[in-house]
Amino acid sequence: MKTKNIFEIENLSVIYGETPALKAIDIDINEKSITALIGPSGCGKSTFLRTLNRMNDLIPECRVMGSVMIRGENCYENGYDIIGLRKKVGMVFQKPNPFPMTIFDNVAYGPRCQGVKNKETLNEMVLEALKQAALYDEVKDRLESSALSLSGGQQQRLCIARALAMKPEVLLMDEPTSALDPIATLKIENLIERLKKQYSIIIVTHSMQQAARIADYTAFFYMGELIEYGKTDQLFSVPKHKQTEDYITGRFG
Amino acid sequence: MANKRKVKDFLMRLVTYLGAAFSLFFLTVTLIYIVSNGAGLINLGLFTGDYHARYYGGRTESESSCIECSEPETYKGFYSPKYGIALYDDYDRAGNVVIRVSYVDAHSPFSLMQDTNNPSQTASLSIDDVVTRIAYYDQPSALTRNGAEMMILSLESSEDIREITFATLGGGIRGSLITTLYLIGLSLMFAIPTGILTAIYFAEFAPVNRLTNLMRSFIETLTGVPSIIYGLLGITVFIPITVRLNLSEGPNLFAGAMTMAVILLPVVIRTTEESLKSIPKSYRHASLALGANYTQTVRKVVLPNALPGIMTATFLAIGRIIGESAALIFVLGTAVKDRVRVTESSTTLSVHIWSVMTDEPANIELASSIALIILVIVLILNIGVKYMSYVINKKFRGVV
Repeated sequence: MKTKNIFEIENLSVIYGETPALKAIDIDINEKSITALIGPSGCGKSTFLRTLNRMNDLIPECRVMGSVMIRGENCYENGYDIIGLRKKVGMVFQKPNPFPMTIFDNVAYGPRCQGVKNKETLNEMVLEALKQAALYDEVKDRLESSALSLSGGQQQRLCIARALAMKPEVLLMDEPTSALDPIATLKIENLIERLKKQYSIIIVTHSMQQAARIADYTAFFYMGELIEYGKTDQLFSVPKHKQTEDYITGRFG
Repeated sequence: MANKRKVKDFLMRLVTYLGAAFSLFFLTVTLIYIVSNGAGLINLGLFTGDYHARYYGGRTESESSCIECSEPETYKGFYSPKYGIALYDDYDRAGNVVIRVSYVDAHSPFSLMQDTNNPSQTASLSIDDVVTRIAYYDQPSALTRNGAEMMILSLESSEDIREITFATLGGGIRGSLITTLYLIGLSLMFAIPTGILTAIYFAEFAPVNRLTNLMRSFIETLTGVPSIIYGLLGITVFIPITVRLNLSEGPNLFAGAMTMAVILLPVVIRTTEESLKSIPKSYRHASLALGANYTQTVRKVVLPNALPGIMTATFLAIGRIIGESAALIFVLGTAVKDRVRVTESSTTLSVHIWSVMTDEPANIELASSIALIILVIVLILNIGVKYMSYVINKKFRGVV
């Protein structure tokens, strides 16, 4: 059975000022699966992730060339609806960054910005998102207390819930567990594995074990180039390139 | 070697101790000076009273000694059985020596007299009034400087009173207090919204280029411009505008508030911009990644978090308004008023200080009292702002 692609990326290059960050990347990303991006620091994997919801637009001297097709539409075309794109492509950041508001308001933020005002609808959306993010049981009695009173792992799951409340198709995760302890990490990994039934997940990670544990596909980036991309078990057991092998065996990086 | 380091360390510490001691010494001396000079005059009447006494003259009917008058059981000072009034020595609100009325009998000839300034009207002396002079046909006038006892003795020995001059008690600062409040309200009304909007533009939306950088350093320079220069602006721009619009004839409170607003703008813009900039980028990124647009991000995430900073800006602005005098001397005027009108001139507390200090003789006690009041207001504001940002932090952020 052939899986469908959510992203088809052709000849993508990103330049920060004079420094090239990504060089002519070609990659197709499957829907409803977990794709891990690995590579040493500064290899361009986070930059790649941010091109997928155009968060790179916020960096003034950043230029993007090539095409990023999401469901057949190039999101770098002139006049493309960026807000619509970000609704479709949710993002979770490296450090948990809940807003300094109540837990409820955090999750309701996205829908409210889209103009959802009806209290019952909002309530439904928030509870559903919290349940999906496996946080509901822990916070159901204190939805009105500050999100900053949660632990780091809870905060990160809240951020996932916040992204899920937008009902996205894709979830981008930029090292979501790097600031968390092993138990919180495990919870998030379990969560991610459950979420892939509904969402296409692209996760940047520094931990090769994490990639091996959860990802269906893994892409190895090095110096702004995509060195190798394939099924995770193949990439880890029989890497085709010397650099991939060196990296996953811990010889550098 | 180790010893040398120790000595150097000790000397370095000593310098900081000395510096701190010097600053504290001068601040304490200032405070002690103001409190010791000004505390004596502080009472409720100072806040609620008129500054200007209203003077009256009264003429009694001749041969008008009081037969029905009876001596009250208690009274302050000295009693005149012949005329049924009691007088005592006191100080007015500004600390000047006065003779005041502590009792007037209902049958006293002074309770119904002909008004000498306005012969068709009647005048009556009442309790708490200040008697400045009693003139006689048959002996020299009794004056304030001779004291209450002498005034009573002269009354008792006289047969024929020509005129009694008396006044309400003056020296209060109610007018200046009200003007200050008006000025705070009006100028904040203009400066805070405009300043916050400008700060949001510069911190969030303005492109970073040479022009906006130039504008930023311009605003920064304006914070350091002496306020008297803004006073000139008020004279040449705001007063003519209000005069043209037939709102006013000269220096007025509205023009003063506009001038103050211009003085405050750079401070408000700078402080707000700093607090906007200090908000973590991660909040903005989170908001934008959730499909919020830039305005929503600013309104829902950035501004609520900048609220403590904006309140600090407001507090600084209020402090600046209360303390300002140089610019207001031109634009708001220096004549102390009891009835405050937005379209007329009046004085703030600070200008009131300037006014009483330029009087002849200068009234240092009253000036110190007003200074003390200003200090207390600033202190209360400071505590209020701290408390409010504590509440905001607790409510919106869950952190203390």
